[in-house]
Amino acid sequence: MPPAGIWVDGLVQSCIYVTMAFGMVLVFSILGILNWTHGQFYMLGAFVVYYAITAAGIPFPISLLISGVIVGGLGMLVEKFVIERLSVPGYGMLYVTVATLALIFFFEGAAGMSFGLMDKGMATVLPGVLDLGSFSISYQKIAVIIFTLVIMAAMYIVLNRTKVGLAIRAAAQEPVAASLYGISVGRVSLIVMGIGCALAAMAGGIIGPVYSVNPFMGRIPMIMSLLAIIIGGLGSLTGAIVGGIILGLLNSVIAYKISYFSEVALFVLVILILLIRPQGLFGAPAK
Amino acid sequence: MKKWYNVVAILMATVIVVGVFAIGCAKTAPPQPTGPITINIGEPVALSGSASPWGQIPTPFREAWFEVFNKEGFKIGDQTYNIKLIQVDDQNTAEGGAAAAKQLIFGDKCKFLAGHWTWNFSAISAVTNPAKVIFVTRTGSPDALPASWKGAYDAKTMPYVVFGTPSQDEFTFNCFALVDAFPNYKKLGLLDSTVGKGGPGWVVLQDTLNKAGVRWQSEWFAPGTTDFAPIITRFAEGGCDIVFVAGWIGEYMAFAKQRWEMGYKDMKVACSGPFVSLDMYKAVVGADAFEGAIGAYYDNSQFKKTIVNPKYIAQCQEALKIAAEKTGKPYAYTGEIAWLPSHVLILVQAMQKAGTVDDTDAIMKAIRGGTFDTTIGKWTMSGAETYGSPVVFGTPACLCVIQGGKEVYLSEHPMEPLP
Repeated sequence: MPPAGIWVDGLVQSCIYVTMAFGMVLVFSILGILNWTHGQFYMLGAFVVYYAITAAGIPFPISLLISGVIVGGLGMLVEKFVIERLSVPGYGMLYVTVATLALIFFFEGAAGMSFGLMDKGMATVLPGVLDLGSFSISYQKIAVIIFTLVIMAAMYIVLNRTKVGLAIRAAAQEPVAASLYGISVGRVSLIVMGIGCALAAMAGGIIGPVYSVNPFMGRIPMIMSLLAIIIGGLGSLTGAIVGGIILGLLNSVIAYKISYFSEVALFVLVILILLIRPQGLFGAPAK
Repeated sequence: MKKWYNVVAILMATVIVVGVFAIGCAKTAPPQPTGPITINIGEPVALSGSASPWGQIPTPFREAWFEVFNKEGFKIGDQTYNIKLIQVDDQNTAEGGAAAAKQLIFGDKCKFLAGHWTWNFSAISAVTNPAKVIFVTRTGSPDALPASWKGAYDAKTMPYVVFGTPSQDEFTFNCFALVDAFPNYKKLGLLDSTVGKGGPGWVVLQDTLNKAGVRWQSEWFAPGTTDFAPIITRFAEGGCDIVFVAGWIGEYMAFAKQRWEMGYKDMKVACSGPFVSLDMYKAVVGADAFEGAIGAYYDNSQFKKTIVNPKYIAQCQEALKIAAEKTGKPYAYTGEIAWLPSHVLILVQAMQKAGTVDDTDAIMKAIRGGTFDTTIGKWTMSGAETYGSPVVFGTPACLCVIQGGKEVYLSEHPMEPLP
């Protein structure tokens, strides 16, 4: 049985995958596209937090909110001027995919040129560890867990208790019917893209002190979020949460048991799920 | 009237004759002394991409060292030569490396490429060897090893390659230096990404450590890993009290930080390669966790077992000072001392022995098996049996430890010549 520290560490990984995957599924539910640039919004959010803290001296929690607002806004611009324009009947999905793939390299290159390629650290943010006997956990990692719980609670309230959330759910289920009821699907798309990118940005910001910040930090979380979505079910918010939790815990435990082979094992698992239950654990079967 | 025409004509003819006579008798100006001739040396180096910190950070020292070197230059006979360094971004890729080599050789007319460390040895040597351009690089990447170690280097088809930095053996001798520094160690952990797993370099390393009786445990991580908690736990459970990380900077920093936070504060962490920027490590790892970190060390004024020519120590110190003045802040990165300056001194001394700066066949003949005095000491090229040609230089395999936030000499295990 892996030691407790491995499970806790896996939980921290899960938190990041949950937040990222949730944002991706939200965007997919409304726009019908996988935003391949999601990892780069995660990276940009981390940089915003880094400079907010080190250059402007803004407290960490407020820096997180600022990163969500700024990068969420950037996401809305991408939706308005790239995704919406390329979403044409026929090959629209292909065009959007290519465009968002291209944006990966654009954002990484721009970040590299603007912020440099050296790793940036925030080790002084929430320093120290909590000693729990058989293992210890840093306050930075505790913050990740708390942050994820708060964000998921906030998203539950927004989606289930507000008019905006109602509009989002309606547009996700039946966009045509929703528009007949006066819901502007275009505006909802914009809002959802903003929320999705904000979630990615804040995930990057909260994890920045735990690891380091560099222009390429978004690639692996993006891939892992995709795996989480596939496990949980494309289009299912519950699936994104469950998939993220399973992925983070499995990654940590398998890595402890069989070291580097964990990556192979995870991808084999994903393939098995696709073969046995292609819609994922919580996704709806294809019509 | 006709009389005046005759007078003018005679006068003009006289002027012309006297002028021609004067020009003919004029002394030729003494020949002006010719200045130094400039030799171009090319360096394909990662200036973009994730490996670029190692390519960019040494730049101030590199430029300063050439400034210092060119004050005197080097002589062959009565002719003085200077060196001009031309760098081209190779992006640490095979395609980038080949393109950079072509640019340097065919565009910039370089007959020598030096200072190379990126992971594209095969791609670059495929361009340099047919062009008879001497390529001074390092061992260590899977292809930059001999066929006897299942690498791609072949002395017969690559007659213009010189291994000016023996990274493969440096890692091995760094392991010995760690054991020297901590003779009561329990077990040495070796960590690398799966890119190198099972590669020829690791097989040779493990055989060498086994023969020397070093206790070790190796672990691997997938490229891009940021969470090292499972691996740290495996090392701790395996009894490793020193872990030598062969990955990139980010991976080393993540490992060092996480092991501290997990409570394994006594687990020493060493990185293969010098510390690129102490401030960066402190910012990412945390000042407390970074204290006691171990890395490769090339401050030649501090070597204890390797004797370095005082002239080269002075040159390097002057270059460090110039680099600090140019950057406007203290410049502590000494990693470059073992690379380009050392490679250039090998080339320069070989040119002097061969008596030529153009004939690369003659220069290579002078390099094979030759002894060269460089910024990291005097070494004789070895590897005749192992590499098929004695073109592998030596290294002090020196390590430093972070004390009070600064690099301090820890230990040294000079490399033995290869068979």
